[in-house]
Amino acid sequence: MILPLTYNFRNLLVRKLSTVLTLTVVSVLVLVLTVLLSFAAGMHGSLAASGSGRNVIVLTPGATAESTSLLTPEEVGRVVQTPRVARSADGQLLMSQELCVQSSIPRREPEGFTANVGVRGVDDAAFDVHEGIELVEGRRFTQGAPEVIVGRAAQERYANLHIGGSLDLGRLSNRTFRVVGVFTAKGGALESEIWAPRTIISDVYVRPLVTSALLRMESPGAVPAAIEYINGPTVKLQAKSEPAYYDDLATTSRQIVFLTTVLVVIMAIGAVFAVANTMYSAVDGRRREIAMLRTIGFSRAAVVTAFVIEALLVCVTACGLGLLAGQLVDGSRQDYLSDQTWTVLAYESKATPQVMITALSVAVVVGVAGSLAPALRASRVRLIEALRKA
Amino acid sequence: MGAAAIELTDVRKVYRKNRIEIPVLEGLDLRIESGTFVVLMGPSGSGKSTLLHLIGGLDQPTSGRVRVGDYHLEEMTERELTTWRSRHVGFIFQMYHLVPVLTAAQNVELPLLLFRMSAAERRERVRTALSVVGLEDRMDHRPNQLSGGQEQRVAIARAIVTDPEVILADEPTGDLDAQTSEGILNLLNLLNTDFGKTILMVTHDPKAAAHGQRTLHLDKGVLERDTMHAPRAAAAASVN
Ligand SMILES: Nc1ncnc2c1ncn2[C@@H]1O[C@H](COP(=O)(O)OP(=O)(O)OP(=O)(O)O)[C@@H](O)[C@H]1O
Ligand SMILES: [Mg+2]
Repeated sequence: MILPLTYNFRNLLVRKLSTVLTLTVVSVLVLVLTVLLSFAAGMHGSLAASGSGRNVIVLTPGATAESTSLLTPEEVGRVVQTPRVARSADGQLLMSQELCVQSSIPRREPEGFTANVGVRGVDDAAFDVHEGIELVEGRRFTQGAPEVIVGRAAQERYANLHIGGSLDLGRLSNRTFRVVGVFTAKGGALESEIWAPRTIISDVYVRPLVTSALLRMESPGAVPAAIEYINGPTVKLQAKSEPAYYDDLATTSRQIVFLTTVLVVIMAIGAVFAVANTMYSAVDGRRREIAMLRTIGFSRAAVVTAFVIEALLVCVTACGLGLLAGQLVDGSRQDYLSDQTWTVLAYESKATPQVMITALSVAVVVGVAGSLAPALRASRVRLIEALRKA
Repeated sequence: MGAAAIELTDVRKVYRKNRIEIPVLEGLDLRIESGTFVVLMGPSGSGKSTLLHLIGGLDQPTSGRVRVGDYHLEEMTERELTTWRSRHVGFIFQMYHLVPVLTAAQNVELPLLLFRMSAAERRERVRTALSVVGLEDRMDHRPNQLSGGQEQRVAIARAIVTDPEVILADEPTGDLDAQTSEGILNLLNLLNTDFGKTILMVTHDPKAAAHGQRTLHLDKGVLERDTMHAPRAAAAASVN
């Protein structure tokens, strides 16, 4: 009992402008939604598992991430005085000076695309200070050698990071490093990084300073006092417990996700109104035709269905276009977001089945919500009045 | 003459507008025998269209009985009437009411979509209906590629494609010139004589009225005159 699709299709073609407008509104909605979903999916978990409750991270006052922090040797010297920092078996203070840089390297896919990866220059102390770093393949790099170890998540995302593989790093990407090991970090953010000897990284990026220092305390109980000491007048730097640091990073991400969600909801409501608007004018322009269809025996339900299908035809097409556009933006996206907040996120922006299903559901909901009221109006067209000569 | 195809008994129709009652039909009795071509005339506002709508199941009488074939329309629900219309009546309007985005063939096919029928059978029926109205070669034309007379022929094909017993036409030639009207009226005559359709046609044109076998004059909601005349010799003649 339904009208043929050609009927809907042709009507859409007849009102080209409004069809194209609706198509645009809904595809942009789907595009933004796809981006949001991939961010949200990437955030999930990767930050939660990061950091040790016994560790204190030291940054420049005001810096929210390592990427915006720089510590001079003199400043690091003041940190060394912090009370109750743990020592290694051979009496070394458990402090890791680290130099974080961003580097653009080839992705695994799509082929030919690059993305920013976090490269962390560390000394041997880092392996005693960071908790849960585990070498699962190969060996550690040798200090002074152009070697790297790669996090498991990084290995999965970027090209050529198998043991024995190589990659070009440095300010001009002109130094070749060899991959000698693969590490895990209990699923934490560090697993998305590449680690290399600090002195060499400092050299090839021409960055003589460090970005942060990480302290391992004797016990978790020593953390608050250490933070107070470093934030205080003696050291005048910024200290946070390591979990708090990652949590703050996640907060920024969460805020972005939240704002994007608000944006998506507003856009979805806008799209519903856009669909409703065009469908109302479609119904009003076709009152006589509707009355004729009802006269020759099409039921009210058939009329409702016809108009809802007409809106769905646009929305589902727009969904396809939005997903397609999402694929084109994909891959190059991480280059725009070079802030470390994003680099530590192991997000993927592929149109996974879940993303597609969600996008399709949203498009369908927008189509139905936008067309139901106009379609009901169509089904209630008064036959005799509508059939009368204008 | 066979059994009465249409029978109205004491039909009243009152429209209510802002609490004011507008009586349109007042106690109308009417029998139309199966297979006759009846013309309905009368001044504007006399209730001709209203009567047609009641017989076509588009509206319900305020009181009285409307029987078409074996169906008592005043007892049926709106939903039942909708289904009934698709199977038992064909409508022809002054304004044709073709769907502008569909071809002639697709327009004619519309009523068949309400039947369980294979696509092949639908195509065959559409072809037959269009050949009856002489537009077999215009199957793929859109309404805006057709003349008014041709549009009305497509509308007639749409009305007969389901092979209904009754055809209701409300001023089918109201928008056409004399010569084109003559063609349409001859076509209705053909449907009446060769296909045995019962036809009820509203018109203001006495010349058009001459095509029927019986003319009803409606005035202020009552039947004034009921004239029988011999079937025109022209009826059997050429359709074009
Ligand atoms: N829905 C309605 N509400 C109120 N009044 C109505 C309604 N429909 C018809 N009428 C009134 O009923 C009367 C008869 O209308 P109808 O359309 O049947 O006349 P008609 O004989 O077909 O006239 P015409 O020759 O102009 O087509 C008119 O006075 C009209 O105003
Ligand atoms: Mg009328």
